This record gives sequence, structure tokens and C-alpha cells, in this order.
Amino acid sequence: MHGASGRGGSRNYDRLRLLVQAGAFALLVATPVLNAHFHISFLQGWFQSFSIGHLWFVSPLEGIESILTSRTIYIPLLVGMVPTLLVALLLGRVFCGWICPIHFFSDLSDRTIRLFKGRRILRDRLLLPGSLLWASLVGELLLAMILGAPIFVFLSPPGLVGRELMMLVIFHTLVLEGVVVAVVLAMNLVTRRMFCRYFCPLGALLALIGSRRRLTVSLDREGCTGCGRCGRICPLGLDPATGGGEDPRCWNCGACVAGCAQGALRFRWSSRR
Amino acid sequence: MVMALTPAAGVQGSLLDSPVGVNLLRPPGAVEEELFPAKCIRCGRCVEVCPYRSIVPLDARYGVHAGTPAVFVAKIPCYLCMKCVEVCPTGTLRRIALKETRMGLAEIDKHVCVTWRDEGLCRTCYNVCPLKEEAIKLDELRPYIVEEACTGCGICVHGCPVAGERGRKAVNIHPIYSTRQGRG
Repeated sequence: MHGASGRGGSRNYDRLRLLVQAGAFALLVATPVLNAHFHISFLQGWFQSFSIGHLWFVSPLEGIESILTSRTIYIPLLVGMVPTLLVALLLGRVFCGWICPIHFFSDLSDRTIRLFKGRRILRDRLLLPGSLLWASLVGELLLAMILGAPIFVFLSPPGLVGRELMMLVIFHTLVLEGVVVAVVLAMNLVTRRMFCRYFCPLGALLALIGSRRRLTVSLDREGCTGCGRCGRICPLGLDPATGGGEDPRCWNCGACVAGCAQGALRFRWSSRR
Repeated sequence: MVMALTPAAGVQGSLLDSPVGVNLLRPPGAVEEELFPAKCIRCGRCVEVCPYRSIVPLDARYGVHAGTPAVFVAKIPCYLCMKCVEVCPTGTLRRIALKETRMGLAEIDKHVCVTWRDEGLCRTCYNVCPLKEEAIKLDELRPYIVEEACTGCGICVHGCPVAGERGRKAVNIHPIYSTRQGRG
């Protein structure tokens, strides 16, 4: 681990993350364009299900909802859930931290607000109990089973971004449900990533699956001066200095790693947890 | 005034009601309507792969069916390319062959069809049917449907030049196989 030593701040995960998020978003735009205008279906879909050639991904929450509400098992659906479940198992909520367009838009708006206000760290105005996240997952699954129809699959904010983009490209229109995305983004003005912190059932499920993940943010106690900056930087309001990097809810975005002036935080791959 | 109070075509009262109706169908291979909104994860891959833009995702006006795929055959019918059934990750559209497709059943309204009314000699539906001489045949130059072979693709509806009441044509697709009862 030679590369990991030295000043952690030089490892600019913020820039890398922005690149990955932008790339994922570009893929989201390119997919309907390729399908509709060039009839190339090598890439297909968005966050409910995405395919690269014959490799299919199915979002774990949507897959579980489909199985629970329809009470049927379809083997290709299970196979499609394997890669996404494995990623969550090993890396935790990395989908949220590095790919989800909601976090991408929020990161962009954070950067814009910081630019205008000239403040490095934004405030959270309303803090709710973190256990709300688990309640939202349980509540969502219960409600879906009571109604007999899944809820998150058509109101999922990242899914709606994909759907709106497809509607725009293929049908040159937008759908009404898109306001959900606007509301979720507006919640950022009260608390950073308010939806992601407390209400996103998909984030909750990924956190649950990744609660014993291999990739975590770990603290080098020798190097830490206790300045508390990482805790203020964390968009989820976790405190990496007191084990926040190993919290199930941490989405490994690396903002704290990049923000620590002492380089006391870094990503750690543990072979056993 | 009455116009303003009528719901948009195909939109039903309850948010849980199935949107499927005359000339508003599911893509090929769809599971029964009771299961459809539960099984479909609204990933839009059937919509994306459809080269004719026949498959349209429903919006929030259709309640829990928002995001599920539908085919408005009078606007753009299904040309039975069978691409959508290959990409569905949930099995909501099952992988079936062209001739097994039963999106619904065409029915010629003999009171509206100009040929059956002896007002002309139109046989557009017969000419455009992808299963000509199988699903639509002629009886003394008058078209009739062969129930056993009709896929319900709606190409005949799209081709029919007659405008009936409430957006109907002289030939319409009735989604008789869409429910559990209809599949018997």
C-alpha cells in the first residue's frame, strides 16, 4: 500500500467522483439515443434494470418488490440481481455515492451554492433520527405488498431521471412524476441529501446488504488531530472520526478522505469483517 | 361543459384499475393483467427497444400502472418484431413466438365497416394483416377474423380508414385474453 501513504488530501476523490457521476449520467443520455435513433440495443435501460450486451443488471429493491408483490420467481430476474447484490455486499452503497443521478445533481448544486456563498461547508438545518432510513424500507415494502403493486419502482428518484430522459429523447415530452425528482432535490436546501439520509428505500436496502462490506473509510488515529472537519464535510452527516466510515449508511463517496487535511482518513479493503 | 368532466381516454376511476381496454393493449407476451403492475419494474427496456415506438410508458394518470408499457394500436400498432419479449428482465413479457402472441382479438363491427354495409369494397384490414389469409380472410370479398390465428397486433385497426364513435374504427382489438378469466 505504498500509494495510500502520505497526504490523503492529494487523493482527490471529489474530482474522481464527479467524473464517474458525469460518465454514468452521460450513459443514461446515450442509451435512449442509441436505442431510438440508431437502433443499437447494446446498452439498455436505466437503474431499475440496465444491460450491457447480454450482461443484465437488476436493482435489488425493484427485484425484491417484483418478487414480493407478484409472488412469482423468474430466474433471469434473480440472475440479474446477482451482480448488483455482490457490489452492495462488497462495496456497500457505492451506487448512491458514485452513480446515482440524485447525488450527482446534489453534488453539482452543492458546488454551485458553495461558489456563490463562498462557504466551504454547507449546513444541515434539520436533523432527524437516522433509523428513519430503515423505517422507510420496511414501510415501503409493506405498503407495496398491501397495495399489490410496487411503489418505489415508479416513484424512485434515480429511476425517474432515467425515465424522463428516455421520454425526452424518444417521445420529446416529460412525464408528471418527474416532480418527485424536483422535490427530492429541493429537500437538499433543508438538509444535505435529506432524501438519501432518511427516506430512500433503495439506499436503505443497499446499506443493509453492505453493512458488513469490505470497503470502508478507516481512520489513522495517530494522524487525526480531532479537527472535526470530516464530520462537517460528510454529506450524510456521519462522523468518520468516530467510526462513521464503518456505519452501514456510509456510501463510500470519499468526500471525507479528500477533505482531511492530515490525510488521516483513507479507503481500506479488509479481507474479513 | 360535459367534455371537461369526462376523463381522458383510457383513464379509469381508481388508481388501481387496469388501463387495458379496447385498442389499448399490453405488448406481446404480457402476463395477465392482475399480475402485470406487480411484476413489471418499469425499467422501460421494452419501450427503448421497440423500433416503431409502438410501446409507450403510461404516466401518473394511470395510478400504480405509471411506467408500465402499453400499445395504443390506433396510433401505432405492434409490428410483431418480438424484440420486447427478449429484453424484459422480470418475465412480465414472456419470451413467446410471433404466432403465440395474443394481445387481444380483432373484431369487425359489421354495422360500421363500409364493406359489410355494402357501401364500398374496402379490404384494407385484410391487405395490411401480417397474417393475411390466416387471421383475416375474405368471404365474398368481405373481411372476417379467424379467432384462432389473430395476434391482436392492431395493424388492421391502424389501417382501417373508418372513424367510428369514441375513437373506434370498424375493426377494433378487444383485450379478451388480458385477464385470468379471459385466459380460462
